[in-house]
Amino acid sequence: MDAPFVALQDLRKSFGTTDVLHGINLEIPQHAFVVLVGPSGCGKSTLLRMIAGLEKIKHGRIVIDGEIVNRVHAKNRGIAMVFQNYALYPHMSVRENLAFSLEMLKTETSEVERRIKTAADILQLEQLLDRLPAQLSGGQRQRVAMGRALVREPKLFLFDEPLSNLDAKLRVEMRAEIRALHQRLESTTIYVTHDQVEAMTMSDIVVVMNAGRIEQSGPPLELYDRPATEFVAAFMGSPAMNLLRGRVVRADGAPAVDVGEGLFLPFDDRAGVREGMEVVYGLRPEHLAISPDPASGLIGEVALVEPAGWETHLHADIHGRRFRAISTERLDVTPGSRIALAPDPTRVHLFDGSSGARL
Amino acid sequence: MTGPSSKKSGAGRSRTGPVRDWSGRFGRAALIGIPLAVLVVWTLTPIVWAVLASLKEPLEIYESNALLPANPTLAAYRKVLAMDGFGRWLFNSALVTVVATFVPLTISVLAAYGFARYAFRFRHVLLLLYLVPRIIPRVSLIVPLNSLMSDLGLINTYWVLFITYSASAIPLATWILVGFFASVPKEIEEAATIDGANMWNRLRRVMIPIAWPGVVTAGVLCVREAWNEFAFVLALVNESTMRTLPYQLYVLKDAMGVQDYAVYNAFTVLTILPLLLVYLLLERRVVDSIVSGSVK
Ligand SMILES: Nc1ncnc2c1ncn2[C@@H]1O[C@H](COP(=O)(O)OP(=O)(O)OP(=O)(O)O)[C@@H](O)[C@H]1O
Ligand SMILES: [Mg+2]
Repeated sequence: MDAPFVALQDLRKSFGTTDVLHGINLEIPQHAFVVLVGPSGCGKSTLLRMIAGLEKIKHGRIVIDGEIVNRVHAKNRGIAMVFQNYALYPHMSVRENLAFSLEMLKTETSEVERRIKTAADILQLEQLLDRLPAQLSGGQRQRVAMGRALVREPKLFLFDEPLSNLDAKLRVEMRAEIRALHQRLESTTIYVTHDQVEAMTMSDIVVVMNAGRIEQSGPPLELYDRPATEFVAAFMGSPAMNLLRGRVVRADGAPAVDVGEGLFLPFDDRAGVREGMEVVYGLRPEHLAISPDPASGLIGEVALVEPAGWETHLHADIHGRRFRAISTERLDVTPGSRIALAPDPTRVHLFDGSSGARL
Repeated sequence: MTGPSSKKSGAGRSRTGPVRDWSGRFGRAALIGIPLAVLVVWTLTPIVWAVLASLKEPLEIYESNALLPANPTLAAYRKVLAMDGFGRWLFNSALVTVVATFVPLTISVLAAYGFARYAFRFRHVLLLLYLVPRIIPRVSLIVPLNSLMSDLGLINTYWVLFITYSASAIPLATWILVGFFASVPKEIEEAATIDGANMWNRLRRVMIPIAWPGVVTAGVLCVREAWNEFAFVLALVNESTMRTLPYQLYVLKDAMGVQDYAVYNAFTVLTILPLLLVYLLLERRVVDSIVSGSVK
C-alpha cells in the first residue's frame, strides 16, 4: 500500500494544565475525504488547527505528503482552511478576498486572474466578485470562503464545521456541493463536524473522537455496522442505538442479557462472551422489528410516535425500559397502544460493561 | 427607555387609534428630542455668544446688554490676524497637533495590537499602568516635568511639546484601539496567516482597515487633546514665539491694556475654528465608529 498522504503520530496537546489531545494516531490516504466527528469540546478543532499550523506542536509529529511539517509555517504547508464563521476579510471585495493569498505569494497578475476565474466558475461567484462580504447571503459567503481556499490550489483542504451557520435546507445543498467539489478536484480533505449525519453522508473515512482520543476510524458503514466501542455505537446513527446494561445469562440454553425487571434480551452466541459477564446490549432501532401481533415478541407500550414520512420512529416501553424502533410501514398506533417488538439476535452488538470495548 | 416608547409607536398599533398614535409619536419624539435640544443649546450657547461678541465694536459690550451686535463688523478679526505673532502661534499649534497625533497613533496602533493579540505576562497589569499618566492630575506633573526638561535643556523647544503632548495622548489612543482590535475575530487573522501574510501585513492589510473607525476616532481625540492642551505649554515654554493658540489666548487677557472683548472673542473663535473643521470633516466616520463600537 502507498505511504499515507497525511500521518498524525502520537499528537498530544495541552492548554496550560488541561490536556486536550491524548496521543492521536491517524493515517489518511491521498484523495480521501475524512470527517472528524465527536461531541463538543472533544478536541476536533484543536487537532485541525495543529494540522493547519495555527497551534504549536510540542509532542508528536505531523507528516503531510512525505514531509514532517511540525516546524513548517502554516502558509508553506500546502493547506487551505475554511472556518466556521467564514472569516472573510470584511473590508475587501470578493475578488480581493480571493486574490489576497496570491498577492501575498507575489503571484503574477495573469495567474491570479486565471485562478480567480477558475474558482469563480466552479463556485458560481462570477456575479459576486465586486461585492463586499456584508452584501452576501450565508450560502454565498460560504462559497467565497471555499473559493479563497480553492485559489491556493492546496494539497490538503481543512474544513472546521463550515456548515453550522447555515439553515437546514442550505446545509443539505452545501453538503452535496462540497462533496461534488471533492469528486471533481480529488484533493485530500479533512472535515470537522459534530453532526454525525454529515459524517456518515460525506465521508470516505470517519474518525470518531471522544475526550481527546480517537475512538474508531474507518469507512462510515463499517463504523455503523461494527462500532468498536459503546461510545461509537451511541454516537453514530439517528435515531440512536438502543443500549442497555445487563448480565449475560442462559435462558433455556439460548444466550440472553438480563437487563433487570425480568427482561431478557436475546443474542446470537459469540466467542469471548461468557455467562455472568457485565455487558452493554446494543440494538439499532431498525433491528427491533415491530409487529401488531402481540404474541410474537416482547410486549411494549407505545410512548411516542414520530412519523418521518417514509419511515416511522417509535418510542416504546418494555418492562419499564424505553426502546427506539423504526418501521418503514405506516403503523396504525398511538401512544398507549400495545405492540410486539422482536429483537433480531443476529444484529446485536455487545460491549464490555467496564471498558466499553466491542465483544 | 426605548422599550415602552417603541412599543407605542409600533407600526402594527398605529391603526388602533389616531389619538394613541399621536401621543405615542409625540412621546417618543419628546423623549429623544428634549434632552437632545438641551444638549445642543448647552454646547452651542458659549460658542454662539463668542461669535456674536466677536462681531461687536470694541466697547459695545460695556455699553449695551443686547445679544446681537448693533453694527456687525469683522474689525476684531482683522486685528487678530494683524497681530504680530498670530501666524507663528497658529503654526505652532498646527505643528504640535500634527506631530502629537501621528506619533501617538503610530505607537498606539503597535501597542494596542500587541495588547489585543498576544497573551504575555503581566498584560493586564501593564494595560492598567498605561492609564497612570492620565489618572495623575496634570498640574501635579508640571513641577517635576519642568525641572526634568530644564535639566535636559529642552525648555522652549518644540521637542518638549512633542514629547509631553504625545506622551499624554498615547494611553488614550491605545485604550481605544485595544478595544477595536480585540473585537476583530481571531479567525480573520488566522485566515490571513494561512494566506501567507506576516505580522506586518496582517496589521497593515487586515487589522488596521477593519479597525479603521477606531483609528479615526483615536486620531480625532489626539487632535483635540493636542490642540486644546494648555498646562504643558504654559509650564514648559515661556518665549512668545513658542506659544500655541490656547496659551496666547490666556496671555491676551493681560496683554491688552483696555479689555477689547471683541478681539478676545475673535481670537477664541479663530482658535476653535480649525478644530470644528476637523470634526465636521470626520464627523460621519467618528459617529459611525462610536456607534459600532458600542454595539459590538
Ligand atoms: N486556546 C485555548 N486555551 C485553553 N483551552 C482551550 C483552547 N482551545 C481549546 N481549548 C479547550 O480544548 C478543548 C477542545 O477544544 P476544541 O475547540 O478542539 O473542541 P471541538 O471538538 O472543536 O469542540 P466544538 O465542537 O465545540 O467546536 C475544550 O475543552 C476547550 O475548552
Ligand atoms: Mg470546534
